[in-house]
Amino acid sequence: MMDNKTFIIAGVVIALLIGAVAVFMASGDPDGLESTALVVQGQKELTGATPEDAEIEEDLDGKFSYTSPMPDYSLGEALGSTGGLIAIIVGTFLAFMVVFGIAYGLTAAGKPAK
Amino acid sequence: MHIPDAFIPIWQGAIYWIIALVFIALALRWARNEMNEEKLPLVAVLAAGIFALQSFNLPVSMGTSGHLVGGALAAILLGSPFAAVFILSLVLIVQAVLFGDGGITTLGTNIINMGVIGGFVGFYTFRGMMGMTKNMPISGFLAAWLACLIPALACAVEMFLAGTFPLAEGLVAMGIYHAIIGVIEGFVTVAAIYLIITARPDLVDAKVSTPTGA
Repeated sequence: MMDNKTFIIAGVVIALLIGAVAVFMASGDPDGLESTALVVQGQKELTGATPEDAEIEEDLDGKFSYTSPMPDYSLGEALGSTGGLIAIIVGTFLAFMVVFGIAYGLTAAGKPAK
Repeated sequence: MHIPDAFIPIWQGAIYWIIALVFIALALRWARNEMNEEKLPLVAVLAAGIFALQSFNLPVSMGTSGHLVGGALAAILLGSPFAAVFILSLVLIVQAVLFGDGGITTLGTNIINMGVIGGFVGFYTFRGMMGMTKNMPISGFLAAWLACLIPALACAVEMFLAGTFPLAEGLVAMGIYHAIIGVIEGFVTVAAIYLIITARPDLVDAKVSTPTGA
């Protein structure tokens, strides 16, 4: 049976590989929710292809807006897929560390003091 | 199905946030009481894996793509729907804050859909199917498929309440697209369960490998 260290390394490496492949292979088509938005806005047929110029109309009146440091898992046009890879690597490690950190804190706090 | 800020009015987003916070509190309590340190490697690896899987938009034809959600996977492997709430909430926070994937005012809604609904639907479908079929691949596949489809339908209802989509059109489009994405989710979930059971059977909830729970 794998020890903890090997399991964690194997798991994170698989995650990074999936993320790296995603940077190059992920579909550029809108996701299910965006696609539905285009359908209800009459820009796309339910089962048809998404037109090149289709754009979701967003009614932003009185709505909150926030600009993230790495929008769309990218560091901007100039850095292209390198930026995409950096974004995915940062995100994967951050997701790992945030969940590990909070889970560790909670399990350690839940135990009676030794 | 990460809802952006523009799709839901702030006051509705606030209501979803309050409901989400109740479930987050319950998930934190679950983590403190039910999770032990031995499970930490699995919990953290699932977070990394779910983040990566969610970044991978797979083509599902009809001019549409979709990515996996992972709620059923987390709930099944860790033996509680709150495991999905715990992991998905944190992954969704990272996605929204760092990558703008899903809004901030709509983060509560996204946590309810993918973490809470996905986790509960995935978990109880799996338990129910295991009781009836004693077959992990069939149970895991159906659980993951429903845990992708039902949150998408919930999302369509929320979009209707927000005045963003008409009800019927939204339900049909969201349903069709995510029924297809759910098939991929089903295969990947079953494959991931196999991989993890093979690598570390001790980390996986006992009911996954022994259907009767005996």
